[in-house]
Amino acid sequence: MNRSRHFAIYQSIPVLALVWLASAGSAYAQAVNPLQSDPRAALAGGTIFRAQCATCHGADAKGLETIDAPDLTLIWTRSGSTEESVFRTIREGIAGSIMPPHGFPDAEVWMLVSYLRSVAVEGTTDRIAGNTERGAGLFNDNCSRCHRVDGTGGSLGPDLSNITRRRPLDALFVSVRNPSASIARRYKPVAFLTAENERVQGTIKSEDAFSLQVMDSNQILRGFTKTELTDLTRDGQSLMPAFEVNMLSESELNDILTYLQSNHDR
Amino acid sequence: MKKPSIRVLVFVGTLVSSLSLSWSSIANAQDLDGPSFEDILDGFSDPSRWLTYSGDYSGTRHSPLSQITPDNVDQLRPVWTFQTGTTTRGRGFETTPLVDNGVLYVTGSNNYAWAIDARTGRAFWQYRRNLPNDLTYGASAPVNRGFGMLGNQLFMLTLDAHLMSFDRRTGDVLWERELADYQVGYSATMAPLVLDNKVIVGISGGEYQTRGFIDAFDPVSGERLWRFNTIPGPGEPGSETWPDDPAILATGGGGAWMNGSYDADLNLIYWGVGNPNPDYFAENRPGDNLYSNSIVALDANSGELRWHYQFTPHDINDWDANHVPVLANIQWQGEPRRVAMVGNRNGFFYVLDRVTGELLLGKPFTATTWAREIGADGRPIVLNDGSQGCLPDPWGSTNFYPPSFYPDLDLFILTARETCATYVPEEPANTRGLSNNGGTVFIDEEQGYGALRALDIHTGELEWEFTYPSPTFGGVMTTASGLVFAGDHEGNFMAFNAENGENLWHYQTGSRIWGAAAMTFMLDGLQYVLIPSGTTLTAFALPNP
Repeated sequence: MNRSRHFAIYQSIPVLALVWLASAGSAYAQAVNPLQSDPRAALAGGTIFRAQCATCHGADAKGLETIDAPDLTLIWTRSGSTEESVFRTIREGIAGSIMPPHGFPDAEVWMLVSYLRSVAVEGTTDRIAGNTERGAGLFNDNCSRCHRVDGTGGSLGPDLSNITRRRPLDALFVSVRNPSASIARRYKPVAFLTAENERVQGTIKSEDAFSLQVMDSNQILRGFTKTELTDLTRDGQSLMPAFEVNMLSESELNDILTYLQSNHDR
Repeated sequence: MKKPSIRVLVFVGTLVSSLSLSWSSIANAQDLDGPSFEDILDGFSDPSRWLTYSGDYSGTRHSPLSQITPDNVDQLRPVWTFQTGTTTRGRGFETTPLVDNGVLYVTGSNNYAWAIDARTGRAFWQYRRNLPNDLTYGASAPVNRGFGMLGNQLFMLTLDAHLMSFDRRTGDVLWERELADYQVGYSATMAPLVLDNKVIVGISGGEYQTRGFIDAFDPVSGERLWRFNTIPGPGEPGSETWPDDPAILATGGGGAWMNGSYDADLNLIYWGVGNPNPDYFAENRPGDNLYSNSIVALDANSGELRWHYQFTPHDINDWDANHVPVLANIQWQGEPRRVAMVGNRNGFFYVLDRVTGELLLGKPFTATTWAREIGADGRPIVLNDGSQGCLPDPWGSTNFYPPSFYPDLDLFILTARETCATYVPEEPANTRGLSNNGGTVFIDEEQGYGALRALDIHTGELEWEFTYPSPTFGGVMTTASGLVFAGDHEGNFMAFNAENGENLWHYQTGSRIWGAAAMTFMLDGLQYVLIPSGTTLTAFALPNP
């Protein structure tokens, strides 16, 4: 079973002397982190992070699902995400959201950027040795009914456009061979009988004490009142079939992942 | 002498009666002067009022109102919604509005505040404090739990650790006093407890290099009357439970950030004290660390300690005892007893004699693996320090959000959290102005859930429960008509049958109900029920009572 863990409370580490950092001066206009070569910057940034940011984003920056605070270890996987853009987000906040602007000295914002770099998720860093074209065909045949790449494909499973940036290769293999090993929130499976005697299978998008919000297996968003449902099960088995070697060979899987990785280059 | 004509007499009579009518309708003496200490002491006796955080000094949050009943509560409808326009980083809209003469007095996050027309939800005035840019957030989040009120004065605490007084008619600031230096990590969020010529407040900041305290201020002059330090000074009683080191005592934590209760007969206030500093790393603070994680009974005139009971000696799990102590006069094993009841973050429900501090009952109300029983010496028999997982997480088996006591049923009703966490302590940096938890906690989010639970106060046994999908942070209010009102983390505001926990009504507010409990009052023959949620305050009433 997936034990989704996060640091909920601050982790404390010794604070580095910050005095030298004042010399970093005003660097807002810079595109490059002036402290990026100094390993102490990430440590000091971590201390600031735990004091100033962890309430919402968690002490390990992985976000707090219960308050919808995003996982900051994934910010570098977004296209267009640069050190300057992250600096700007911290400095200016996100208009219209709960993320406020922060008036820290520039040097401290750069330390936060250094820290966020240091906790960035490890994606698939090596080039995968497969055939892109063959992979595109295999993806189309096996995956695209439920998964999207670049806006094309289904929605029952997660969008895979950036997946090789977000997950290491071995984790991607596990997700294909044994998808029930770890099921992300918002993709947990559910099945039930409606008041009209319709058997519904789907993934839980949201839930409260009285209602369920699901995407059914036809990829239609539907809401239900729990008291009208019977035979409700959540057996923990992903809606995605387990692609064993006899269904998808090692080299075919490599081709698909090569196709997904090549997506970043386009 | 010429007699006045009938027409003139009629005119004069009309004039007199219309003058007196308009005078009484605009302002009787009570309205002009505002509520007195005696009015607050009368608690719920005037159904049009809710004058202090819990509605009365007892902290039971049990209203006598009975227009809304188990039979008609399914007809409950929103009447208006007030939008605060201010968000709460990481937490919730935690206030309890006060109401007097049709006007609500409401505080919001980021030290906003309003006077609002209780009939329509329209604001008379708004206040917003200009907070410093370098706030240290000693309270963890920019929340506020409400006003205190006396006469025409309102009292509010601020995130930069000040106590402010306002004119309730205009929102004008009358005075403000600094409680402590926010740059160290001090902050303040609770609703001031107003007694006779005293405003009692407690400080936040136990995760920082602070020393907690409870203060009493003169409401008119703003002069500080007394201070009770929750961590003793060198040589003072209780200091023997700490290392012999003034520096450690001076930064021992022990925030007092939640509302206390008051017994006017005993002239004692009852107050919960928070965690010692640092939270998880305890090698430098061997001992019980009094008065952290305790309830203290203080003389209201002097602030002197009468008794204390420590729920969690030598806390290493951040289980602040910042709960509203619930006071009741009950029959205990055939004898009348004046008790204080607490559902604690450590997972135990306690009943204490509030005259002496004697422990009468301590029973777990969750699956807490920290301890399962209290020994004959009144101390918990600790089984697990947290390193092995599956204690309550640092948010606790319950938290500061109010519980309620239903006297006719002898039920203590609270929101419980079933959670699992592993604690990894690490020596902190002890830096002024930075939080100082001293370690990391791994919370297993897969396993958590919440529940509304009703406990038999005589045994601590579970009488009924209603479960929620996730660990919940909403408070509870009960009404004498047999109803329980509660909020959950998914945003539902709900009503239950107090006798059996059956859900009778729910309304999706659109945002989690976090840290807040409902309040209720009568106006124009209607019983209103109010709940804050997200950035809104919503008022409910029956369409045709």
